[in-house]
Parts: sequence; C-alpha cells; structure tokens
Amino acid sequence: MDIILNQYYLQIAVFVLVNAILGVSIYMTLSTGQLSLGNAGFMSIGAYTCAILTVKAGFPVYLAIPIGGIAASFISVIIGFPALRLTGIYLAIATLGFGEVVRVIVLNLKVTNGALGISGIPTLGTKISKMMSSLGLPQSFGGLSAQQTSTLLVLLVLLLTLAFLVFFCTRLNRSRVGRAFAAIKADESAAEAMGINTTFYKLLAFALGALIAGIAGGLSAHLTFFIGPKDFAYHRTVEILLYAVLGGSDLVVGPIIGALLLTLLPELLRSASNYRLMIYGALLVTMMAFRPQGLISEETVRYWKGKLGRRRNQ
Amino acid sequence: MTLVLDQVSKSFGGLAALSNVSFKVNEGEIVGIIGPNGAGKTTLFNLITGIFPPTEGKITYQGKSLLGLRPYKVTELGLARTFQNIRLFGHLSPLDNVMVGAHCRTKSGVWKGLWRTPSQRKEEKATRERAQTLLKLVGIEEDTDSPASSLPYGQQRRLEIARALATEPKIILLDEPAAGMNESETEDLRLLIKKIQTMGNTVILIEHDMNLVMNVCDRLMVINFGQKIAEGTPTEIQQNPLVIEAYLGREEA
Repeated sequence: MDIILNQYYLQIAVFVLVNAILGVSIYMTLSTGQLSLGNAGFMSIGAYTCAILTVKAGFPVYLAIPIGGIAASFISVIIGFPALRLTGIYLAIATLGFGEVVRVIVLNLKVTNGALGISGIPTLGTKISKMMSSLGLPQSFGGLSAQQTSTLLVLLVLLLTLAFLVFFCTRLNRSRVGRAFAAIKADESAAEAMGINTTFYKLLAFALGALIAGIAGGLSAHLTFFIGPKDFAYHRTVEILLYAVLGGSDLVVGPIIGALLLTLLPELLRSASNYRLMIYGALLVTMMAFRPQGLISEETVRYWKGKLGRRRNQ
Repeated sequence: MTLVLDQVSKSFGGLAALSNVSFKVNEGEIVGIIGPNGAGKTTLFNLITGIFPPTEGKITYQGKSLLGLRPYKVTELGLARTFQNIRLFGHLSPLDNVMVGAHCRTKSGVWKGLWRTPSQRKEEKATRERAQTLLKLVGIEEDTDSPASSLPYGQQRRLEIARALATEPKIILLDEPAAGMNESETEDLRLLIKKIQTMGNTVILIEHDMNLVMNVCDRLMVINFGQKIAEGTPTEIQQNPLVIEAYLGREEA
C-alpha cells in the first residue's frame, strides 16, 4: 500500500489534476477558436486573490477559491472587450502581453509581497483534516497515515472539480450555447450572419476560461503553501497551451490527456533531466508535423465508435 | 414594400462596386438579381445583410433603417442569406448546422443548458424537430452523423438554404444557389424556391442560370458594372436591348 500511495506519487497525481483543470480552461477559450495566451495571468489573479483572502483576511478556503475564480473572470471581461476585436496571432500577442502585465503588477504591489510572494498559505490537506477532526471523524482510515488520508481527500476534491468541469463542458457542447461556440469556431462571419452575437459568445467563452483558470489558480495556491510571481510567468502559459496542442482541442478530454502526459513526462524523464527540454521540443515538433490536430480529435472518436459499434453488431 | 434600397453606392477605395442603385422588394415576391460576373450582385447582398455599410444611400426594411446594424441584428429582424461560396459549419452534422440557424429564435443560456431544465429540454426538442422538418424540406437525409462538409455539393447548397430558413426569415437572400448543380438538381431547386415562397417568404435570388431565373422570378433587376440597367418582368428583361448588350455585346454596325 505504501509503495503505491507514497507521498511522491500522490503529489504528482495532485499536479496532474490541477493541470488537467487548466487544460479545461484553455479548451474553453479555444472552443470559439480564440488563441488566448492569458490563462496563466488569470490563474495568477485567481491564486493571489484567493491566497490574500485566506492568509490576510481569514476567509475560509471554500469561499476564497470561487471568489478568486470570479475575480479572474471579471478582469477577463474588462480586457476582453478591446482584446476580442483582435483575432488569431494578434489576440495571442495581446493576451501574452496581458499575462506579463499581471506578473509585473504582482511583482510591485505591496499586498502581494512583491518578489517574495505569499507564504504560509494553509494547505487544502491540513484544512481538510482539521475539518475531519472537528466533525469527529478519524484522521486516518484502514492503516493509512494521516498525511496519506488528507492527500487522498485533496485528490478527491480535485477529481470532483474536474469531473464537474467535464460534465459542464459536455452539457454545454450539446446545448444552444455550445452550438454557437462551435459555429463561431468554424466560421465566425457565417455564424454572425446566422444570427449569433459573436462578440457576446466570444466574450462568454473567454470569461468562462478565465473563471476556470482562476479556480485552478486558487486551488494550486492552497496546495503548495507558497506562491510567487515566477509561478505564473510566460512558461506557465506555454505549458497550458501545450496541453491543448498535444492532446487536441476538439474535445474536452484532449487537453486533459495532454495535461496528464505533460505532467508525467518530466517525472519519467527525471533520470535524463539534462535532455528533458530537448525531448519536450522534439515531441512537439513531431506533433506539429504529423498530427497537428492533437492526439485526440473528433475523427479519433468517430473511428473508435465505428470500430466498437461494428464489433458489437457481429 | 418591405425592403427598400435608395440610391445605394459602395466603393472600395477608389473602385465603385455599386453606384446609385435604387430598388424595392414587395412582400411575397421572388425577385431575381442578374448581371455579369463582378457586376456587384454579392456586394448588394453584403450591404443588405450588414457585412459592410454602404458608402452612400439608405437601406430600409419595413420602414426601419438597416444601416449600422450588425449582421446578427439584421438576421434577427428577419433577413437571412446563403453564401455564394458555401460557408457551412463543416465539422458539425447537417442537423446541428440547421439548429445553429435557430439560435436567434431560441433563448436557453449556459445555466439552463447545464442543468437541462424542463424549458430548455422543451426548446431543444422543438428546435430539433423543426430542423428535421427543414432538412426534409430541402431533401437531405437527416439520420447522417457525418460532418456537413462530407455531403455532396448540391446537398451542401440546399443545407445552406435549410440553415437560413431556420432563422425564420421573412426575406431570404439566395446567392447563386444553383451554381454547380445539374439540370435535375436545378429543377428540384426551382420547386424548393417556389415552396419557400408559398410558405410566406419573400425571396431575393442572385443567379446565373437563366432558365431558373426566368422560370421562377416574378421580377428581375439587372446590374452591370455596379449600375442598375434594367428592371421588370422576365419577358420584359429578355427583350431589353441594354440587357442583351450587357450579356452578348453590341452588334457591329
């Protein structure tokens, strides 16, 4: 038991899930065909808002995390109005700039502690085990240590969050709003000619993506005890985008698979850590050359559906 | 008179694509717009549907100015269009394409879609049924799950018409719907356009297929080099010397 549930593995599982949530956030903005590189910035807003609320104002975590998400989403609407007039690479550049602006602001504000960052953030694990004991529940089960139990419960919380987001996205896809998103992604001016207010729906997707990124930021702040401006820099944005590039952005599972692989890969390549970035780069160039739509596309699903369906019919 | 164009001009940079075109469309009629390639027919559609504004002139629909309205607002008012170069949502199914068209006549937002409230389910069901009816009307098998881009060319053209009809238009603007169709397909299209008229719609048709235009239209307008050169019934147009000149050239004396 201890071999499987050792703290190292559990920690990796936690990171996989947080990154998968970030994958869903980029999926959301990409679902109207907008290439936004601002998600690390929104994550940063969520994380800082949430951390400041819990550390300095004594808010409970379960309230602070949604507030962080809403704050990120609120900012996204403000910058979205001008930014969403841009398309393609210009939007990417503008949102990339936004991410840097957020980083520099965070670096210079007093309330965010500048380059020192915010430390002493109560972790989700300790909060959960405290709650358990206040409810009179034991802090550990079936031979597990207290730490293992609390980490497993954190995993459960993250898994539920991710499951809800996947549920949200699949429901959305098969609704009026989801069809509008898909239409805009396919052909923006044709969508507009068919009576869709493209500005509104692009802004909606942008704000929903920021909301999810903000929530992921809040969660990650309460997983690591410490956040600093460096956590949400340019490389983070690229990482989030890569989940969608590797996994594919047609379906919500794409970026989730991408997040899983790209979080596990560095751990597996730890022995070859000097070459890690080279392998990373080679992998992405290969993807772009041979499978630009990502690992999982709509065709993949159709193909397997057809295959499995045929087998069942025989 | 439902749609009125008054002295409409459009120039792109120094190039006049349309100059001083005035035109009226009556309710329930099928009006054809014909003219050689590059005469400015599609530009006229783009002006009416708000893709870009006219340089000069007025466009009113039921007494209300369409100038400055964004395309989706024009569609909401009841003017829907198809495109000359097919612009379907390629990777969506034919049914979904038509259901997108119903967007501006339905209401459910994110919240209702997430929880599938009774009103949302009712609306979805009604939208789906209406979309299926429209697919049947234009003659597309709706059971297909394959993307719209994999349909045969003629069906893609008709799917565009179904999608435009889903917006519940009063006026439908068809931009070369018969392009690339064979004779029997064109005949089906003629029947479809007639049927759309009997459903209570006004139809404005840009078309090069003279056989179709002469058979289906109540009235024609001819444009050449951005200017209206003639207007009248199909028989009048066929005998108009200016039109014959525009199409066939001047006879050497």
